[in-house]
Amino acid sequence: APALAYDGTNCRAPGNCWEPKPGFPAVIAGSKFDPKHDPKELAKQSESIRGMEERNAQRVANFKKTGKWEYDVKKIAD
Amino acid sequence: MTRLTSSVSALSLVVALGAMVGAAGITPAAANDKLVELSKSTDNWPMTGKNYNANNYSEAKEITKENVKQLRPAWSFSTGVLSGHEGTPLVIGNRMYVHTSFPNITYALDLDDPGHIVWMHKPKQPATARAVACCDVVNRGLAYWPGDGKVPALILKTQLDGNVVALNAETGEEYWKVENSDIKVGSTLTIAPYVVKDEVIIGSSGAELGVRGYVTAYDVKTGEQKWRRYATGSDEDIGIGDDFNKDNPQYGQKGLGLSTWEGDAWKIGGGTNWGWYAYDPDTNLIYYGSGNPAPWNETMRPGDNKWTMTIWGRDVDTGMAKFGYQKTPHDEWDYAGVNVMMLSEQKDRTGKLRKLLTHPDRNGIVYTLDRTNGDLVSADKIDDTVNWVKQVDLKTGLPQRDPEFGTRMDHKGRDICPSAMGYHNQGHDSYDPTRQTFFMGVNHICMDWEPFMLPYRAGQFFVGATLNMYPGPKGDRQNYLGLGQVKAYDAINNKFKWEVMERFAAWGGTLATAGGVMFYGTLDGFIKARDSDTGELLWKFKLPSGVIGHPMTFTHNGTQYVAILYGVGGWAGVGLVFDLNDPTAGLGAVGAFKNLQHYTQMGGGVMVFSLDGKGPYSDPNVGEYSTKVIRAAN
Repeated sequence: APALAYDGTNCRAPGNCWEPKPGFPAVIAGSKFDPKHDPKELAKQSESIRGMEERNAQRVANFKKTGKWEYDVKKIAD
Repeated sequence: MTRLTSSVSALSLVVALGAMVGAAGITPAAANDKLVELSKSTDNWPMTGKNYNANNYSEAKEITKENVKQLRPAWSFSTGVLSGHEGTPLVIGNRMYVHTSFPNITYALDLDDPGHIVWMHKPKQPATARAVACCDVVNRGLAYWPGDGKVPALILKTQLDGNVVALNAETGEEYWKVENSDIKVGSTLTIAPYVVKDEVIIGSSGAELGVRGYVTAYDVKTGEQKWRRYATGSDEDIGIGDDFNKDNPQYGQKGLGLSTWEGDAWKIGGGTNWGWYAYDPDTNLIYYGSGNPAPWNETMRPGDNKWTMTIWGRDVDTGMAKFGYQKTPHDEWDYAGVNVMMLSEQKDRTGKLRKLLTHPDRNGIVYTLDRTNGDLVSADKIDDTVNWVKQVDLKTGLPQRDPEFGTRMDHKGRDICPSAMGYHNQGHDSYDPTRQTFFMGVNHICMDWEPFMLPYRAGQFFVGATLNMYPGPKGDRQNYLGLGQVKAYDAINNKFKWEVMERFAAWGGTLATAGGVMFYGTLDGFIKARDSDTGELLWKFKLPSGVIGHPMTFTHNGTQYVAILYGVGGWAGVGLVFDLNDPTAGLGAVGAFKNLQHYTQMGGGVMVFSLDGKGPYSDPNVGEYSTKVIRAAN
């Protein structure tokens, strides 16, 4: 039996050395530790970043075209 | 050997260039190297860390061990805001650029008449940004781009609300402004921008709100995004190609950004980078560390959680990672791995001259790597009281954990050292190349830790642990004092040349000088000078408030000045700043620093010192509205 178990030195593959602690599951989905994340919540960050990148691209394109920086994308003509 | 010789002859070049820069203001240098040239002069402090080696070392030596006792304030400046003042001002030519905590005001001061504010930039930001800042509304500094003839010189800044702004360095007008981070999902900015070539590198904050970390490069002239790389997820997102870790395959290579997580947990996996950068023009790599995984509750995220807690070497042009070494696989203590990277060239124990990076981590280990390929050269405990790890195997790179000091659900871990605040935090330390010594501001804090389950809701805190923090074994646990240390470290021979205890954590970092004097500020409100060789306390001065930034030095009109921001705050100061009493509040920092209020109160400003206080107003008529005295007739 592992002495006090998880000490970080038993690797399944290079860079992959995690082990569950004694009494804990290898997979938490379906266990009492299941975080039950809402996929909609998990998607919010990437949606937000996409929006910022699009707005920034409009600002930069307008700056290159006009030579004047406009932050408010509503004021940038298409 | 040839390297050493060439760096010695480079020294005389430095002196010559210093004179040129002093005379001409900005030296027109080879393309993209203007910052390198500027940083060689003692007249300038053009970036965080002073130079691309990030060694906070100045060749200035007017101030010496013998005369440092004569150091006196020459002038000072209040920023007009409270909360923690991190980082350090920049000096380029005859301007000092000062940044502040939220709302992130920028000031340009005239070094010949600092009583005159040349310009100020005061952004309007939504107050809601404050609500998603984990650890006080701090900011770590500004960056400078020297201009190219067509585009003016720029000051680059980050705002807590997630915007990145380029200001005309002469006038303070906004040149461009882009959104990097969205406070609606808990993503803020506290990191200082970093300029390399014609790019500005921007990090990220928000792992305490489940923000997946990323680093972004923008074209400094237009604000156009050049590349963005994440800390978790697919190899494409992370910037992992075929040659990643090719010299150290045992560190792990492909696919681990997904396979060391269960399901989609990597999408809210933390790994933000809000620390510091270093850059080597020869390797063309930037070096930095990614932060802790989210949440703090380890039971909710099985796996090594790559590539959080990783030392990165990334190509600055493409963002592709050449190497990544994960220091703390499957973090259980919030040892956010974002700390300072200091570059040096030293002979290893076999006599081979190596290009190194040294990095004192939150986890209590100071790592030294070969910065060309990521080889682990040394990994020493910052203090012998570190207990979560028995040792780090230099061949495999794996920390051998002591299961007794791990954390897990339904269990209260006790007496874990370091605490979540780390044995080293955000302080930017220094390296003296002549003494081959790192001067490290160290924390001495341990903790009890108990996790709890919680849901993820974008924009809300996602921590999931209750902490109690207190002084380490060498401190005074009854009176909650003795929370810090300052140490002089030799990375090659794995030893501390000297070390001293401090009343509070040495949070802000250090400055090394060719005068053989090292400087640092303390939370209880002093700037101190110690003998670089012996650690003897040579001088100190009581500042208006505690310090969480690092000192800097510059020469102006031939006089050497030492400057430091004061204004207590940051994580260590959250109890004082936000009037908290529950010892577990402020993510556990309130209890540890409950005595801070007996030594300091909030403030905000910069204090500038010189020998005998010599300065721009030594002639009192400088800066006067009128020098003509009108006397009453008899």
